[in-house]
Amino acid sequence: MNRLIFYVLRGGVVLAVVLIAIGLFLGLLNPDALPRRPADPGSILSGLLQMSPVGFIALGVIVMMLTPVIRVLLSVMAYLIERDPMYVLITAIVFVNLMVGIVLYLG
Amino acid sequence: MLPLEVTLVALLAAAVLAGLAGSYLGIGGGVFLIPFMTLVLGIDIKVAVATSLVGVIATSTGAASVYVRDHLTNLRLGMFLEVATTFGALAGAFIAVFIDRNALFVIFGIVVIYAASHMARAGGVPHAAVTDAGVSRSAERLRLSDQYTDKEDRSVHGYKVARPGAGFGISLIAGGVSGLLGVGGGFIKVPAMNMVMRVPMKPAVATSNFMIGVTAAASAFIYHSEGYLDPTLAGIIVLGVFAGTRVGTRLMVRAKAHRIKLVFSVFLAGIGIFMILRTLLTGVNF
Repeated sequence: MNRLIFYVLRGGVVLAVVLIAIGLFLGLLNPDALPRRPADPGSILSGLLQMSPVGFIALGVIVMMLTPVIRVLLSVMAYLIERDPMYVLITAIVFVNLMVGIVLYLG
Repeated sequence: MLPLEVTLVALLAAAVLAGLAGSYLGIGGGVFLIPFMTLVLGIDIKVAVATSLVGVIATSTGAASVYVRDHLTNLRLGMFLEVATTFGALAGAFIAVFIDRNALFVIFGIVVIYAASHMARAGGVPHAAVTDAGVSRSAERLRLSDQYTDKEDRSVHGYKVARPGAGFGISLIAGGVSGLLGVGGGFIKVPAMNMVMRVPMKPAVATSNFMIGVTAAASAFIYHSEGYLDPTLAGIIVLGVFAGTRVGTRLMVRAKAHRIKLVFSVFLAGIGIFMILRTLLTGVNF
């Protein structure tokens, strides 16, 4: 489990950095397309398809923000498998707190 | 406002330095980056806080991954305290969204001075004595006691955790500070674990890093949905601190770290005082 968490955390940072680097490189070519405010998921998707900085940078930032969330989700599942109800509850509360912001963003 | 290219390059450089300072001094980049962004680059403090949080996630997650792999982190303690820090972070973020910017400046200045004084203080409790006096029943029920392998002396140290209630309360505040001001909050969390809860220094630092990412993410999403997060600035910061921490961990110059910390803490305290005075005297800040 520790190993898995390590890979998820590491992978998340690396993925985010790569996405952001690509996006910033694209932004060098087209500074007006640089995202200055949070974009909704639809724009990010279309931004990616158009190879625009908007998509990559915004996605990279979101990946960075989601990495801890995924880690907490993994912990919830790990405690479920271990049949540890106390810590399933504890990690689930943390996950719900994290979801508050995510739901606000999607809603 | 400076032209965009200048702002981005300056911010990148600052982020690299912040990453270096963070991994070397133990005090996070947020504490340096936000004054730089607001005072030098003229960025809105609420935007600065939001983008700094993403950088905080980057630094702490990178460090945390290594600590978890090395079994230094007390996972249960971290998750338990994260309940408090995430509640605090949500509250802090919501307050920050509605609070007056001048108030944010002054509060930030005060907290920065506190952080500086913490950095100036030497050490902490390296290895807690494993005494049975002060064993807490709730800590036992939460199974918070743990052990870790110290790479330096190659031995396994066990420890028990004391006063989880107090630790929980302090973590609420730490989360609130993080969400409100865009800092990691390690300067609150580490002493809370090390001195109040009797966790030895190394697992305390490891667990603190583990918690900081989750805490920052909780508030970052709030800022994001309220429109304060500038993805380009955040992206620059992430790249910068990523590079900075990679270099920082290679700098093995540990000697005289205390003197450097003293210099930085004085500098930091000066920034804090400046932020407070500027706001109170001129009353104009954005």
